[in-house]
Amino acid sequence: MALGLVASAAWAADKAPVALIIAQGGLGDQSYNDLADKGFKKALGETKLEGKEVESKDVVAQGENMLRRAADGGFGLIVDLEYSHGDAVKTVAKDYPKVDFSILNLVEPGANVASVLFKEQEGSYLAGALAAMVASDPKIKGIGPKPIIGVIGGTKSAGIDKFIAGYIQGAHDVDPKVEVKVAYSNNFGDPAIGHQMAKAMFDEGASIVYQVAGGTGIGVIQAAKETGHYAIGVDTDQDALAKGHVLTSMIKRTDLAVETVIKDYAEDKFPGGQTVTLGLKEDGVGLSPMTYTKDLIPAADLAKIDEMKKKIIAGEIKVWDVTSQGYPSWWPK
Amino acid sequence: MIDYVLAAAALLTTPLLLTAIGGLINRLGGIVNLGLEAMMLTGAYVALAMSSATQSWLVALLAALAAGGAVGLLFSLAVTRLEANEIVAGVGLNVATAGLIGFILKDYYHSSGTIRLPDVVMLPRIVLPGVAQIPIAGAILSGKDPLTWLSWALVPITAFVLSRTRAGLRLRAAGAAREAATALGLRPLAIRDASTIVAGALAGLAGAQLSIGVVGVFSVGMSGGRAFIALAAFYFGRNRPGLTAVGAALFGLFDAIQIYLQGRGVAPELMQMLPYIVVLVVLTAIGVGERKRRLLQGV
Repeated sequence: MALGLVASAAWAADKAPVALIIAQGGLGDQSYNDLADKGFKKALGETKLEGKEVESKDVVAQGENMLRRAADGGFGLIVDLEYSHGDAVKTVAKDYPKVDFSILNLVEPGANVASVLFKEQEGSYLAGALAAMVASDPKIKGIGPKPIIGVIGGTKSAGIDKFIAGYIQGAHDVDPKVEVKVAYSNNFGDPAIGHQMAKAMFDEGASIVYQVAGGTGIGVIQAAKETGHYAIGVDTDQDALAKGHVLTSMIKRTDLAVETVIKDYAEDKFPGGQTVTLGLKEDGVGLSPMTYTKDLIPAADLAKIDEMKKKIIAGEIKVWDVTSQGYPSWWPK
Repeated sequence: MIDYVLAAAALLTTPLLLTAIGGLINRLGGIVNLGLEAMMLTGAYVALAMSSATQSWLVALLAALAAGGAVGLLFSLAVTRLEANEIVAGVGLNVATAGLIGFILKDYYHSSGTIRLPDVVMLPRIVLPGVAQIPIAGAILSGKDPLTWLSWALVPITAFVLSRTRAGLRLRAAGAAREAATALGLRPLAIRDASTIVAGALAGLAGAQLSIGVVGVFSVGMSGGRAFIALAAFYFGRNRPGLTAVGAALFGLFDAIQIYLQGRGVAPELMQMLPYIVVLVVLTAIGVGERKRRLLQGV
């Protein structure tokens, strides 16, 4: 502790280590957790801080326990990736005022709590717009005669419907006649169900299906590859999972969020009590570089997506946010 | 539309049916196997790993069968020899197996959720020339993997073995009257163990169908509670393979229907309940019918 008194930004290594609490799905999900972990490792490398990932088989029920153990274990900053840990972070942060906490995707009160939000709806809007343009062009390989696209969510909840609403809005801003099929798998770790659901949509004439369902979504991508249609990945760049069959991925820069929070902590600038929002403007969300598909997509479409992105950043296009605005009137019945 | 739903229903039914048949045999032998989920998950993992390692789906299936059977034997020994409570042992096995496989994924593949392996050979889909073009029949019969055929072939085979063969009668004796079986010179505990090995092996194959039959990846949540649906199927199927198959197929069919209807904008919360409700209603109706018949016979 005496060392802590003389610590300064230049001597970040003197600060207490950082814990990263891994969300449901675990490390190796090739998605949310893995990306966050990448940012975690990068930040540790650059700040020379010590740190450790914390996993549990029962992440949801063990929330408070994990946080208390980490706080007792001498960690100075605890970054929690699990969406269901909101209450636990609030409670534990109150009991450990000297420890800094950061929670992703939620806003929780407390002078030692930094909340990080993503505007997933903005990235999903671009994904929906691109899907609508591509699905309306039957000349493109794998596109059916009717402009139909789909989206499969992990559960029916505001956190997931935020993506879905953005996707529908983007698609309908391109062409209101594009049909968007919506379904939920009720499971984030069952690729077999994701596979069946996606096949059902393709069978019904959909050409492109966006997956917002973690591990279940791996099955969606597999189904796109098998049937010769397209999937849209989520959270990380999943384009390489089925080269040429993942149209794009809606990337959520969890790595950037974790990295920023840790660096701020290392430099004694931890945004305690604040909410950090990362959208298109901050490069916190966005579409993948489309390494394997950009030659398939007409250049005019890509240019239009760029234009839409600029309009969203400028505030000319307002994307609906289910988590703060509730459900829009145009939500599919 | 009907074609799609039926084709999907056939695929969704396979793991349920394989597991339910195994569970039924096990139950007749005197053990209610709550650990089938663990055996299914083991089979799913082993099949994917072996398919990637050997590029042979047949070797992968045999490995899944052996691995499921081995986990079954472990469970059985705990119950029959150490007299562990079968419910506690079964649930404990599910938790322990998921934990162990999670550990292997983390330690060996540096992943704790989902793994994709290189060069995985999927189960072949058997396309029946001539049948494939026929509406409905083509969707149900053509383009299915070998395990789907096996699962349905097992229905009459199991019924025959259970009612008409010495092995089947001995199994039922070991399950229904242990002392009497012992008096006849049988070894009921060994028979029970054998029935659990069969159940584990079939659950292992069910897992293989998920990992190398449908998607080609493995995920720790892959079994997704399917063994418990299978449990419901053989419980309400009252130890009869035919009725058990009806239960499994009903669930598969309505799961396919709910998936299909969701894409058409029907409320997802309602749709996801559908398969469970239908199975409950049908099985209750069967139960009520049986009761009535028995009462009538009694008079």
